[in-house]
Amino acid sequence: MGNLSINLKPNFMGLLKCLNSINWFIVFFSLINLSMCIYEDQIGKFDWRQSYVGRIKFAQFDTVSTARKIIVATEENVLAALNLKTGQVVWRHVFESTSSGNIQLLHLSDQIITVTGSNPYLVRGWDLSTGVLIWEWGLTLQKNEHTDFSEWWVQNGLLVHMVPKFGSHIEVSVYNVATGHNRGATSKLPAVWINEGCVLSPPYYTCISGSPGNQLLLSMDVTSDAVQIISKPLAEYTTARNGNLNPFDTNTVIPGFLLNEKIILIRGNKFEAINIAISEPSASVALVDSASGPLVLQTWNDEAKGFTLMAHNLVSGQRVNEIGWSDRSLSIPEPELSAVICTKTAREQHVCRILVTAADDASHLIQQEGRVLWTREEALANVVAVEFVDLPVSDLDAAIESEFDQKEAAKMHSSVLAAFTRRLQSQFQQLQGAVRALLAGDAAAADEPPPLVRDYFNLHKIMVLLTDTGKIFGMDNLSGEILWKLYEPNLNTEAAVMFTRRSARHPPHDAYLTVVGKHEETGNGLIVSLNPIRGTPVGEQTLHLDVQILQCAVLYKADAQKLHALILLDKDENVQILPESSAPLVENMYMHVADRSSAVVRGYALRHDGERVSAKNIWSVDLSGGGSQRVVWSVSKPAAERIHSAGRVLPDRSVLYKHLNPNLVLLLTEGPDPVHKDVVVATCVDGVSGGVLSAHVHRRARRPALPLHSEHFLAYLYYNDKQRRHEIATLELYEGPERWVPAGAAFSSLRGARAPHVQRHAYIVPAAPAAAALSATERSLTDKHVLLALSTGAIVELPWALLEPRRALSPAGEAREEGLVPYAPELPLPAEAVVNYNATLLRLTRIHTAPSGLESTSLVLATGLDLFYTRIAPSKTFDLLKDDFDYYLISVVLAALVLATYSTKYFAARKMLKMAWK
Amino acid sequence: MQQFTLIFVVHLTALFASTACIDYDGFLNMKLEHSLNCNDEKFCHRGSITLKSIRTGVPIIDQILFNEKHLEALKKLANEDEFYSIKTTITTGENSKGTEYLSSVKAQAFLENGLSDVINAWILPNGAVIAVNFQVANSTQPLKQATNEYKLNSKFYLRYIEQAPVPDTASYIQKMERDREAREKGEMKDNRSFLAKYWMYIVPVAIFVMISGATNPEASAPAGR
Repeated sequence: MGNLSINLKPNFMGLLKCLNSINWFIVFFSLINLSMCIYEDQIGKFDWRQSYVGRIKFAQFDTVSTARKIIVATEENVLAALNLKTGQVVWRHVFESTSSGNIQLLHLSDQIITVTGSNPYLVRGWDLSTGVLIWEWGLTLQKNEHTDFSEWWVQNGLLVHMVPKFGSHIEVSVYNVATGHNRGATSKLPAVWINEGCVLSPPYYTCISGSPGNQLLLSMDVTSDAVQIISKPLAEYTTARNGNLNPFDTNTVIPGFLLNEKIILIRGNKFEAINIAISEPSASVALVDSASGPLVLQTWNDEAKGFTLMAHNLVSGQRVNEIGWSDRSLSIPEPELSAVICTKTAREQHVCRILVTAADDASHLIQQEGRVLWTREEALANVVAVEFVDLPVSDLDAAIESEFDQKEAAKMHSSVLAAFTRRLQSQFQQLQGAVRALLAGDAAAADEPPPLVRDYFNLHKIMVLLTDTGKIFGMDNLSGEILWKLYEPNLNTEAAVMFTRRSARHPPHDAYLTVVGKHEETGNGLIVSLNPIRGTPVGEQTLHLDVQILQCAVLYKADAQKLHALILLDKDENVQILPESSAPLVENMYMHVADRSSAVVRGYALRHDGERVSAKNIWSVDLSGGGSQRVVWSVSKPAAERIHSAGRVLPDRSVLYKHLNPNLVLLLTEGPDPVHKDVVVATCVDGVSGGVLSAHVHRRARRPALPLHSEHFLAYLYYNDKQRRHEIATLELYEGPERWVPAGAAFSSLRGARAPHVQRHAYIVPAAPAAAALSATERSLTDKHVLLALSTGAIVELPWALLEPRRALSPAGEAREEGLVPYAPELPLPAEAVVNYNATLLRLTRIHTAPSGLESTSLVLATGLDLFYTRIAPSKTFDLLKDDFDYYLISVVLAALVLATYSTKYFAARKMLKMAWK
Repeated sequence: MQQFTLIFVVHLTALFASTACIDYDGFLNMKLEHSLNCNDEKFCHRGSITLKSIRTGVPIIDQILFNEKHLEALKKLANEDEFYSIKTTITTGENSKGTEYLSSVKAQAFLENGLSDVINAWILPNGAVIAVNFQVANSTQPLKQATNEYKLNSKFYLRYIEQAPVPDTASYIQKMERDREAREKGEMKDNRSFLAKYWMYIVPVAIFVMISGATNPEASAPAGR
């Protein structure tokens, strides 16, 4: 079908163009939306993109070029330039996500110099203003050991590479930066005193060495021709038994280091202790140059005073009062000074711009007096889970709803009079609201952001994003604006899940969302419950369990407060219900747990015996296949999925019934095989009874990925090792021409032994997919489309009809009548089907879809290094007028028609009269 | 406690045997244990299924007979709507230690269907079993009684996990070739009429002409009245 429409479209569009002069036809055809993609002027209307770079590792202010920028290198292996005023990305280069893209050095001179990778290294020079690569050379070290601790820096136009071999020597190589020409080959400096606690402050390498109590502070200029070691007893500088060396977070002035909260500089081959107190052991210290001499900046998060910054003059040791403030309103956990630039104004005042990176990966550019110029929430470069939450209805709608609700409930009790007064009351309220809205006019509406209430089509929602660092964001889906954020430092989001336990549909009660994760240190369960609309903790708030969680689920039945209970199965197979009061509601509840490495899948039946809920292991299967396989993916159906039709009508008017088992779980395992190298096994297991419904093996295949599961169909990708290409395997489960259970009867997995008929096929994907998702609509009336994110940065929307396993190579008469597309082994990925047009999305990891109130429309959020939000209409916007629908023209036409009718009537009457007189 | 044993052989349908795509052959020994009338232990003996050859898939099923005590216990489970669990331990030539599988059926359903069940063992091409499923057979046969004892009516199927289909490029290319040949042949004698071939281009043009003619008929008409 997709193929067909793609081929047909140009013809139709040509036809439309041809009829362009005739407005009548435009009116007529505007009712039918033929295009799948958006028009150029619609860019940014339904979609937005946010670019991120990841947690900042190195940052430097660009003082050379005219357009002020900050050049950053990040932990996500991104080199980027940020606009100093707005914080937006000016240009960005994304390196490999593996260790070969790891940025080791960022140096700014008239151009940007980076060192990436870990043996082999790549040294590159970039243009400052455009970010264009100017030159590049590679470097491969012969010996691969000890390179983990190697250090790079640029000194006098030469690139220095130092490899320390602990307890033995230091190897130093000096290269010409631009050419890579090795100036003086590699020199080996004997140094038996170096160890892992050493710090580098170019060009000095400093260590604490010797037996406890008799330790020495040793330092050496590794680039000087003559080996000269500065050595002093540690006791001269510190009274503590153990010295702890730390480098400065930013240092552009004099070589130096921190020794147990004490600043020590190396000047003229001598240690020099500076008498400036470091107020907090955890403080981040920076040494920066300013017009009035070098400054020492320190910042920390004070419990009482909040974010605090302090500056001292390095020479005099005096506090610089104009730099330094505390701000309670700023929440910057564990601040780190990434880059500082200080200048002086005409009035001899210090002006500093400070880039601070916090433990929650956010970067703030702070100016004098603690004014935050901008904040970048870099945690969003690593989104782990997304939940779309409906907004609450407006107060007025809520009042109307409650009125009708009450009427329903209290039909018997309330009198007619009471209902009538209520009706009048609410009508008066509505009138008041309407008048107020009229008086307020358009002026107020334009300035204020739209209120957080549900719109008519329920297109406006809040997206709750859970990030890798444990920061949770609430984001407006229409604007991409961050509404609230919550940082939970102890939350380990590996395999974390989010549940909406109560939507905002139940007015007196607030919406309720729960994040189930692990505690960072103990690995025990950590549960965070919050109101997704406001981001405030509710209910259990932050609950730290004393046991590890094996599996969690939400009870399908809500309690009296409309709250769905959270069911936790812990490591000892005990069951916890949150809240406890919901325990009696547990009935017919089943859970399954797949062990990743042992590939054993266990099923549990949960039962409430009047006092407590217990889990009984009722089935177990062993997918390890002789011990080699491990579980890579386990996907069940999306919760609360609606199914529109139970079968498909065949050309002979019979119905092929779908096997709609709500408990079906697809388990993908992979492992080595003695005969076929690597095999992938896909097993469909019933999550309640443990029965295997279908299973098959892919030989010489690896990396099963991106499973999709909805209704009666499943799909997953794998890498074909033999053909060296990505393939997608699709399955559909059918019951056959007759229903197993009568229409309307509930499906039961435990009923009996019948195997569904499995249709399957495989297609070649001529690209490298990075993420996949299925479109989701409210009633599943619309076609299902597959969204495939490719490594090229495009998201392609494919109709399921193209992936259907029932596609025959050359369909006979009947199959053709059904509308099946003839089989082609390769999936077409046409450019028109790219939903993100030319907005390339880098390093996409996941696509999330959610239904909207409009049946035709599905909301899509793609996460990765970039965030991209859009909405798609798989079956076109059949329930919506076109965006540029000409209301003006159609009303003019209607008015003209009415006018013409009456005028002809008048003229006809006149003519009749004249005729009669004749 | 040891009961009479009954041996019967179920011949598998030729369907399964013929499609077997198995790389490995050997024996398969399944020890069946259930949680019924077991005194103190959790699981006790129910029977065993032995296959001399995985490839032929002919099982020898040897199971105990249920006595009144078993039936009592089963009825008790059925009243509580509980599960009747069966643990299977599989030993093969390669895996002498044995792997355990657990499966359950509703006691109520098992009782209603006259102690008849279907056992499916899913086997990978390398000879490893991934699952042993017990399911209640949909037969409403009454309990078979033979002097106070009830016969278990089990059917065993060995399910070979087949190879998944691969993208069918070869036959697609063949089809393309055939199509091309057909087209080459067909091009010689496309003797459809001009209208039949190009109607899709003519009709829009005709409509266009008609409509542009209809919207301004007066413009071309002579001005005289």
